[in-house]
Amino acid sequence: MLFNSLTFVVFFAVVVTAYWSVRSWNARKNLLVVASYIFYGAWNPPFAALLFSTTAMDFWLGRQIAKAEGRRSRRAWLVGSVCMNLSMLGFFKYGNFLLQNFQWLLARIGIIYQPPHLDILLPVGISFYTFHSLSYTLDIYRGVLKPTKSLRDFILAVSFFPQLVAGPIVRAGDFLPQLVRPPGLRAGQFLWGLLLMTLGLFEKIVLADTMLSGSADRIFGYAGPLVALDSWLGVMAFAGQIFFDFAGYSTCAIGAALCLGFHLKDNFRFPYAAIGFSDFWRRWHISLSTFLRDYLYIPLGGNQVRPVRAATNLVIVMFLGGLWHGAAWTFVVWGLLHGSYLVIERVVRALFENKEWTNNLATRLFAGFATYAAVCIAWVFFRASDFTIAARMLHGMFGGHAHGDAILSTREMLQIALVTAGMILVHWTLRDSNIETAVMRLPRWIVTTAWALMAYAIIFTQGSSNAFIYFQF
Amino acid sequence: MPLSTSNFKRRLRLPRLFFRKPSQLERVHGGPPLEYERPIPEVPWRGITVVVVLIVIAATCAWEVYCRSIGYGPTLNDNEDLWTMARRRVKPESVVIIGDSRAWYDLDLDELEKGLGKRPVQLAMGGSCAYPVLAELANDEDFHGTIICGIVPRLFVAPPGTPPMQNAEKAVRRCHMQTPAQRASQFLAMPLEEHVAFLKQQELNLEELLKRLPIPNRPYAQVPPRLPPYFRTLDRERRARMIEECARPGKLQSTVQQIWLTLFTPPPPPTYIPREEFVKKIGQAIEQRFHDVAAAVQKLRARGGKVVFVRFPHSGELKKLEDRETPRAGIWDRVIKDTGAPGIYYEDYPELSGFNCPEWSHLSAGDSVEFSKRLVPHLRKALQM
Repeated sequence: MLFNSLTFVVFFAVVVTAYWSVRSWNARKNLLVVASYIFYGAWNPPFAALLFSTTAMDFWLGRQIAKAEGRRSRRAWLVGSVCMNLSMLGFFKYGNFLLQNFQWLLARIGIIYQPPHLDILLPVGISFYTFHSLSYTLDIYRGVLKPTKSLRDFILAVSFFPQLVAGPIVRAGDFLPQLVRPPGLRAGQFLWGLLLMTLGLFEKIVLADTMLSGSADRIFGYAGPLVALDSWLGVMAFAGQIFFDFAGYSTCAIGAALCLGFHLKDNFRFPYAAIGFSDFWRRWHISLSTFLRDYLYIPLGGNQVRPVRAATNLVIVMFLGGLWHGAAWTFVVWGLLHGSYLVIERVVRALFENKEWTNNLATRLFAGFATYAAVCIAWVFFRASDFTIAARMLHGMFGGHAHGDAILSTREMLQIALVTAGMILVHWTLRDSNIETAVMRLPRWIVTTAWALMAYAIIFTQGSSNAFIYFQF
Repeated sequence: MPLSTSNFKRRLRLPRLFFRKPSQLERVHGGPPLEYERPIPEVPWRGITVVVVLIVIAATCAWEVYCRSIGYGPTLNDNEDLWTMARRRVKPESVVIIGDSRAWYDLDLDELEKGLGKRPVQLAMGGSCAYPVLAELANDEDFHGTIICGIVPRLFVAPPGTPPMQNAEKAVRRCHMQTPAQRASQFLAMPLEEHVAFLKQQELNLEELLKRLPIPNRPYAQVPPRLPPYFRTLDRERRARMIEECARPGKLQSTVQQIWLTLFTPPPPPTYIPREEFVKKIGQAIEQRFHDVAAAVQKLRARGGKVVFVRFPHSGELKKLEDRETPRAGIWDRVIKDTGAPGIYYEDYPELSGFNCPEWSHLSAGDSVEFSKRLVPHLRKALQM
């Protein structure tokens, strides 16, 4: 079920009404479990069984890890959990990719092998709920979380519908404590949740789908050479589209959770105002970057090892982060590019650490602009469906097609320019703040007008229930 | 406004969790519940909400009144989900209409039911190629009914990857992949669309309205041609009818006429492929289409299905353009010859050729009924009924 669909509007209204009408906390939690499985099953009912089976397995494995006495046996149970989760992810998401690469490798040594094409349907949001569930056993193993006694609570923590299919990746340790006591219905919190949902839908329906996606699709789908202006505008359109699409989903999720009395952490903090790539990853898809940091980067040694090893760790983490996004080498290159950016940034920081000029406004602005440009270059690999398209785009961006085609209309160019400028301005204005502070500071008539305009724009735009980009991951 | 930052934070009730690392105890489920709260801005939410709701209702009503005042009426949107609903009504022996917008506007289901004894299922789509639907029905082993396939040559041989093919492929794909949520959304949307005039996904949304802004383009900008504005109604059976305003001479009619001329004029070949190579590729794609269509028809016939191809009336400058660009001998004759299926070319029969299409491409709602009535005997003969 998509947030930007009529079904969800009705579903959410029914769930919220029923939820706050019921007094018993247990009954409310049961209601949320049922609602979450309906929400998920509305895509493909059999996949709800898959979701339940992984959740139940991790619940059991979590108890085994906690019960196990020796370090070895604890580790063995953890390996069981990791293997179970990753093998399922591997089968559904990477099955065909692995077979294709195996075929390619065999062909390199002269063996012709035609693998069967596995007609695998990717369960929506599998990368997200696998991580929700995995965080539970990992935290129990690390000793920062005690296993819950309630299977129902754990099922709810993994499948809570606002964050189930496209994040934020909510760790069990952050959600389970919220299931101890029932939240009270507070008008301010509920209505703020609705405002956040409106903002999220506005970002998705109006800014991502209406203002930017058409131009990005046209540029990346064009089979000929493009002039630099159109190439850059296409990439900038995609940079804005993916931000508004994904941040819009996260904002909706946070708002929907608030309406039900739950608190989810921010997943985005104005990432296009980042100064440097480590700053970017502290602002972009925060729940994934902290997940990878805590469960992969730090166990690998983090930055407490020799510089070369730390750099290798960074690249490994970003390589896997890229692969998490999709079963294609273009995603791997995207991850590796970000890994290289992070390594280069470390070197540059080490060289200029104590220089005073690094803190002046001009330097910061330049660094912010350079970060945005480099992130845009990396987006080329994220969006392009193959390397031929990526190479053509990059060639165009760097002036390789001086006599290429100019395909964007003036209206499209204006839309991209205005939305991108507005987005970057807002990000820089709020980069050290948050949206709550901004709402507090703004005059009430502006808050009222902005909310009304966003709600009206959503109705006016109508939308066509386009899926969120991150559903495919 | 807050007097100091700390006071401000207190008023915002900013959570401590965001500013310090939680203790080990706090992270343990079963320990004391976390104080884990997002900040909630303290503003008079109830008052703001009431004003927002009133503004949104007023603006929406005003937009609805305006849309009705400029001629828009409530009707269903044609989308993949509505098409899927119709496709699900196809039974093994159904009569099915496929093709482009002419088969969609010009055939009256009541008249065909009277004449053929079965109520046809309308699967034709505006601006689409018939082949993906023909292939889908040919691959449906249960189906052995009758297909009435409209042909507009340019659309019928549209190469893969072009909008006419994509439109049809999207609908076929949705039919196979439709989720319960998409199905439910369609059921919820229909009553709304039947009562609210501004709900026109392909016409009155923000994107389409922005496209109408008169902003000059760069000389070589490749801007897709504009699609015709609203000029039809659609019911739950997907029966399309031209609205009266378009059937009468006037601004709407002439606008639609000019748009057809643009849409039916072949675009220049892309600059990034040598012209000869492009022409060769298109030729190969058309040959492949003839082959695929013949194979699909053969497959259907092998299990008792029937197919009849129909060329519908068109008039004025558009007819001249079509006759020049896609003469009968080029595509129509070849399809009939390769498939061996019967074909009804409206110009061959005086009773079918006397109709005038108001906007050059489709019959008016009234004429579509008469045309269907006159077409029935030809269909019966062609289908040996």
